[in-house]
Amino acid sequence: MKKLLTVLLVALLLTGSLFAAGSKESGAQAGPVTLRVSWWGGDARHNATLKAMEAYTAQNPNVKLEGEYGGWDGYYQKIVTQIAGGTAPDIIQIDQPWLAELASKGDVFAVIDNTMVDLSQFDAKFLEDYCTYNGKLMGLPTGTNVNTFIVDTKLLSDFGIDPNTVWTWENMISEGRKINQKDKSAYFSGATPDIMRFWFEVYIAQLAGAVVDNNKKVAFTEAQGTEAFTYLKRWFDEGIVAPFSQTSLFYQKFQENPTWINGKMATSWDWVSSMDKDIGARKNFETRQYPVMANAVNTGVLMRPSQIFVVNNNSKNKAEAIKLLNYLFTDPVAIEKLGTERGIPSTVIGRSVLAEKGMISQMAEKATNEGIAQAGDPQSVYQMNSEVIQTMQDVIDEFGFGKLTPAQASAKMIKSLEATLASL
Amino acid sequence: MKIKKNYSYSGYLYILPWILGFLLLQLVPLVNSFWYSFTNFQLLGKAQFLGLDNYKKIFLSDAVFRQSLKVTFYYVLIAVPLKIAFALVIAIILNQNIKGINLFRTLYYIPSILGGSVAISVLWKYLFMNQGVVNNIIGRFGIGAIDWLGDPRLALGTVSLVTIWQFGSSMLLFLAGLKQIPVSLYEAAKIDGAGRMRTFWSITLPELSPIVLFNLIMQMINAFQDFTSAFIITQGGPLKSTYLYGLMLYDQGFKFFKMGYSSALSWILFAIILFFSSLTFGSSQSWVHYGDAK
Repeated sequence: MKKLLTVLLVALLLTGSLFAAGSKESGAQAGPVTLRVSWWGGDARHNATLKAMEAYTAQNPNVKLEGEYGGWDGYYQKIVTQIAGGTAPDIIQIDQPWLAELASKGDVFAVIDNTMVDLSQFDAKFLEDYCTYNGKLMGLPTGTNVNTFIVDTKLLSDFGIDPNTVWTWENMISEGRKINQKDKSAYFSGATPDIMRFWFEVYIAQLAGAVVDNNKKVAFTEAQGTEAFTYLKRWFDEGIVAPFSQTSLFYQKFQENPTWINGKMATSWDWVSSMDKDIGARKNFETRQYPVMANAVNTGVLMRPSQIFVVNNNSKNKAEAIKLLNYLFTDPVAIEKLGTERGIPSTVIGRSVLAEKGMISQMAEKATNEGIAQAGDPQSVYQMNSEVIQTMQDVIDEFGFGKLTPAQASAKMIKSLEATLASL
Repeated sequence: MKIKKNYSYSGYLYILPWILGFLLLQLVPLVNSFWYSFTNFQLLGKAQFLGLDNYKKIFLSDAVFRQSLKVTFYYVLIAVPLKIAFALVIAIILNQNIKGINLFRTLYYIPSILGGSVAISVLWKYLFMNQGVVNNIIGRFGIGAIDWLGDPRLALGTVSLVTIWQFGSSMLLFLAGLKQIPVSLYEAAKIDGAGRMRTFWSITLPELSPIVLFNLIMQMINAFQDFTSAFIITQGGPLKSTYLYGLMLYDQGFKFFKMGYSSALSWILFAIILFFSSLTFGSSQSWVHYGDAK
């Protein structure tokens, strides 16, 4: 038995030294390098990314690339856990709001500068507004993503609404209500509770500039909040939007609502990057600009990178990782293989290569240009904080279920936000 | 002497994998989370010691905690007794000598094999949504659509049905217990002229009471910790009416990354489960009957 114990101990030691040897090997720069790249997306994005990675390894046989990819659900949780555990991939695709959230907690991402990547390819303001934390560039934007208002033109004209209407806050109600008036099971808007929160944020942005400003303060008054909620209450009262009891099940997934899929909801707030997925098999969609009130402080129309690629600061091969990023962003072969799977590219060369090949869809191009033309100020990092979002959502839910009057909702929103902001 | 010594070595060797697993995968996290519960640990970055601040905040000012606790208690009160009652009734039916009984036993056990799986929860969502299968069926009888999952008053009940429906493992235990009851007891009761109900209350139930106790405790512990179905079907909504304790733990820990706060919440849950398990154990002396005792 003692012998067995000895064997076991020796075996344990051996495995230990194996791990040690393994980590030493990957620490060396010259030899073969393995880079792990992670992203979320659908099959089309997975295939495009894998093909671009293959093209890179064909040119750089000393580099082995491993893709770690899947859907959106749980992706952020996985990445944060990996970063905390020191097992995060070398290159990570993140959503824009996470950049500040994660960078504020330590030197999580490698700093990128002009010597590593040709930064003149990017819009300098875009990099500064969305990819920079404390004056340091932390990542590169994959593409430009903007809010767009998608409308089913046929459904609108079927209900006697001019499909070319330029939307205002007022005619969204005076025209939009025609749908539910004629068909009780159909609605002008497909908004779920989370999208009602976006509409609230747009409305408040136009009234007051922002929900939460850069100084970590609630930026609207109680009267302005009441005005916004009074307007949104008319959406429920006039049948512009379906009751929350029918839509709350599709929180963050309005496109899975059968009423939407079956073409009984005419319009939606959306991101250009996800509109194809959201429209799905439906036909006759076009994009429109957002309603903007006279004297609007800010349009509330959001523009941000579709995603951001960052390099893990703990990576043993930071230089190699940045080299790969540079390739993915600026090499014509890579650009063509990646296509518009991450939105319309944010690099000059990316746009020109795809335009030359006719790979940018007209709908996406129109929506992006119109969105950029209308885009307002970026939201503060505090307004994008996940706890702040949840706080807003909880009040919107109570309001939407009729538990709060507009005045009560406004007061509660301000009070809850102040409490949450104080605890951040 | 030497042989004895060797025997003890080999014993430890056999349980070594379990001990290592327990130490590394359970004890370390357990101690860690207890420590974290007194800090503001945020997964990334350093933790600061806060003393009892997390606990104070939970008990004194966290309205979501109170709501979630309320929901969880309702859930346990609905799901556990109904599940056990169902399991018992079906077990008694399946204990009869009917042709093809084994097929039925398998069929009734299948939902439990599927477990608290994601697929079942997704299925539930499609069954009970506004335009789901259930509303479609009752619509044929002229009943209007019911917001099973959209109405804050109904959603918890609908979600509980998933749990109740998965009564198979409790049922199997009851079935095994029923087989253990000596036939002579039933024969004696029959001779004394006892009816079916009388037999059930005076023989079957007391004889099964140890299994009732076991099922009660296991199901209660599981129910307090439940997560999957509510997370997938309703995400805690509408209006946090299905916001089970497990969801709150997850949100605080993995959505807001407040691991310290989340750890404090989980130790409170631990205390609650410990209390109710002890209570059930304590009360068992008065209602659990062990046939071979005395």
